[in-house]
Amino acid sequence: MMVDISNDASFREALLKLEPVDARIVGGKFVESVVPLADDQRLRRIVDVASSREATEEELEANRKLAKSIMVDTYTRCGADGDWNEQAGYFVARAAAACLSPSEKGKSGGPAWQAAMSSRMARTSAAINSGDGAESESGRQYHILSDYLETRERETS
Amino acid sequence: MTSAEFLLWVRGPGLQIAAVIFAFGIILRFFEIYMMGRKKNLSAKRASGTGAGFRTIAKRFLPADSETMRRSTFTIVAGYIFHIGLFVTLFLFVPHIQLFDALTGISWPGLPMPVVDFFTVISMIALLALMWQRLTKPVLRMLSTGHDHLVWTLTFLPFLTGYLAYHHLFVPYTWMLAFHILSVELLMILFPFTKLMHAFTLFVSRWYTGSMAGEKGVKV
Amino acid sequence: MSKPSIERGINALKEQIDAPIASYFSSCVHCGMCADACLFHTETGDPRYVPIHKLEPMRRLWEQEYTLVGRLKKLVGLSKKITAEELEEWQELVYNSCSLCGRCSMVCPVGNDIVYMIRKMREGMSAAGYAPEGLIGASTRAVEIGSPMGVTIKAVEAQVKHAEKDLGFEIPMDAEGAEYLVLMSSMEIMNYPEYLQAVARIMNQAGKSWTISSEAFEATNAGIQIGASDIARILVQRIVDAAEKLKVKTVISPECGHAYTAIRWEGANLIGRPFDFKVQHILEVLDELRDQGLLKTEGSEDSRMTFHDPCQLVRRGGVVEQPRNLLKMVASDFVEMTDHGIMNWCCGAGGGVSANEDAHELKLKAFNRKKKQLDELEVDALVTACANCRIALEEGLEENEMDIPVYGLTEMLAEHLVTEQPGKEK
Repeated sequence: MMVDISNDASFREALLKLEPVDARIVGGKFVESVVPLADDQRLRRIVDVASSREATEEELEANRKLAKSIMVDTYTRCGADGDWNEQAGYFVARAAAACLSPSEKGKSGGPAWQAAMSSRMARTSAAINSGDGAESESGRQYHILSDYLETRERETS
Repeated sequence: MTSAEFLLWVRGPGLQIAAVIFAFGIILRFFEIYMMGRKKNLSAKRASGTGAGFRTIAKRFLPADSETMRRSTFTIVAGYIFHIGLFVTLFLFVPHIQLFDALTGISWPGLPMPVVDFFTVISMIALLALMWQRLTKPVLRMLSTGHDHLVWTLTFLPFLTGYLAYHHLFVPYTWMLAFHILSVELLMILFPFTKLMHAFTLFVSRWYTGSMAGEKGVKV
Repeated sequence: MSKPSIERGINALKEQIDAPIASYFSSCVHCGMCADACLFHTETGDPRYVPIHKLEPMRRLWEQEYTLVGRLKKLVGLSKKITAEELEEWQELVYNSCSLCGRCSMVCPVGNDIVYMIRKMREGMSAAGYAPEGLIGASTRAVEIGSPMGVTIKAVEAQVKHAEKDLGFEIPMDAEGAEYLVLMSSMEIMNYPEYLQAVARIMNQAGKSWTISSEAFEATNAGIQIGASDIARILVQRIVDAAEKLKVKTVISPECGHAYTAIRWEGANLIGRPFDFKVQHILEVLDELRDQGLLKTEGSEDSRMTFHDPCQLVRRGGVVEQPRNLLKMVASDFVEMTDHGIMNWCCGAGGGVSANEDAHELKLKAFNRKKKQLDELEVDALVTACANCRIALEEGLEENEMDIPVYGLTEMLAEHLVTEQPGKEK
């Protein structure tokens, strides 16, 4: 049964229904889609860990902390000459940290949703200089989710 | 010059000279402040600053909060002991009240001699403590200049000489009394040209600060 | 902007000295209490950071130019000139070790508004050419590009498009006759773009008409931070022109402390006339909406949280109760820091400090004050209402390995907005 996800309402609803492990993995896939936009290579490794079903608690915690630290390192300082390509890296790190964080208070929607939002921001940032216009990362994310849900259905049935 | 002649001089011409310079100096300093002017505040005020200014004059007599009291305890406590002592010895000591009476015709009740004596001593201890802090605390060592030490001396001498005079210590009474009055005259002459002006200008400073904050709706 | 020089610096300083400053310098008794209130001093123990000392060149200038004794001293050669070398030495004190937080002004027993003087001292410093690189760059970008961080209208439009996609409705741009003109800070546009979406959702729910302006989207005022009134004036004028062109009733300053100070309290004085529109901080607007029953939220956070008071908003801005009223709507376990409200401690990064690379280490040390405040409270989350404070707090917490999330208040409120009735078209 194909789950129809074609707008943010159904997308968000479906994400909220995910088990924590699935939310993390799906979140990781969202980040994977935008990780090429980041310069910091460590983010690729973090994404690999986030997307792995077998990752241990210690590994996840360590990578969450690393993602947060990269995020704090890469924000643009107040008054500094902003570079949108570098800023994309900030959003990728933010997305990575989000998918590895358990449901955070004050931020609704769950880790996967937060990761999705930040990933979209990464795409928008990267597109600013190239002038491509806000590309539809959301469409890509709907596909990622519905593919994942389909695969899980087949695996568990 | 005999001690009597000296005393007569400091009580007479000496005091007159000191008083004139004191008065002229204070007026001058106020003029120097107000001549600078102040630009009108064109932003939309939340409240009138005038009342707020006066509220701050009163409120600033106390530390801003308990944390400030905790962090600056020594300065606040020693500072207050000194200032209260100054008030008591200057205005509640019968011989001084008699002087004011002779000058202005106004008099008021004083405190018993032993009480004033006590306040004189603790004022001097407070001053010594403050000087000790000024000489040892890194911030104060860096900030302090000859000016601070001069003013301390000018402030300390009247207390010391007054105490010695009253108790007839060290030198004959007439000389000590003359030194005491001379020390006060020295204080008066230099007063307007030193940080001692804060005695008057703090009302202006507090008012300005209070009114600017009051216009923003902040009670300082 | 003409070339900086020591002559220009001294002239600029002279122009800044007014009656309050004359009174302040006349009243200072060198008690040192201001040091006990300044986090740059308390967290380093460095005596040079005592606030009143940061003003020494200005004090001497005042004495030499505007007091009888000072002029006599000058006549007989007893006064020390203010030199370029001295101003160069003072750059660190005036820009690195001061965020213009104003806590010193709260404790001075003789009532001196020390930060008022430091703000004015910066006018002399920048005119003499002794302001930090980072701030000079930011000011130039602000004037030439429209944002201190080089954010162009193109970037703003991209962010707006992105937001509209996520929101499902349009964000008004250059809409004449709207009630509110919403400004943003570059920090928000770059680092917390969710802010715009949050404002949009809240305004939408409240049914208020609003707009952003393509000619004046930036609220941050680098001119204020560096101390260059001519630059500050240009930046404010942009906003005034847009507000008047669009005929809005109120200009909303975003979650940025100094932006508020710039437009709300210095703006009219910079352009030389009162505004004919209101200026409010976003929290003032939201609190009004709350009061009118137009801000409908549901649910609340149950984690233990506290509020960090942005200095320019609270102590120097007068917006004290509003953040608390709003936070209590969505937080069931809100606790105040011991020193809170107008006596709270600075994040250490405002007033140009975070834009100043040289001040980085000092800023991290200053954060220890905030760390101690938080350690005392043992909270699960920290809320604030200034993008720069947010970054500074995140950076400081990260540096100290403290795992406490930091939230922006406007976003937090938007997260709790009552959702649409089921069945309604989204």
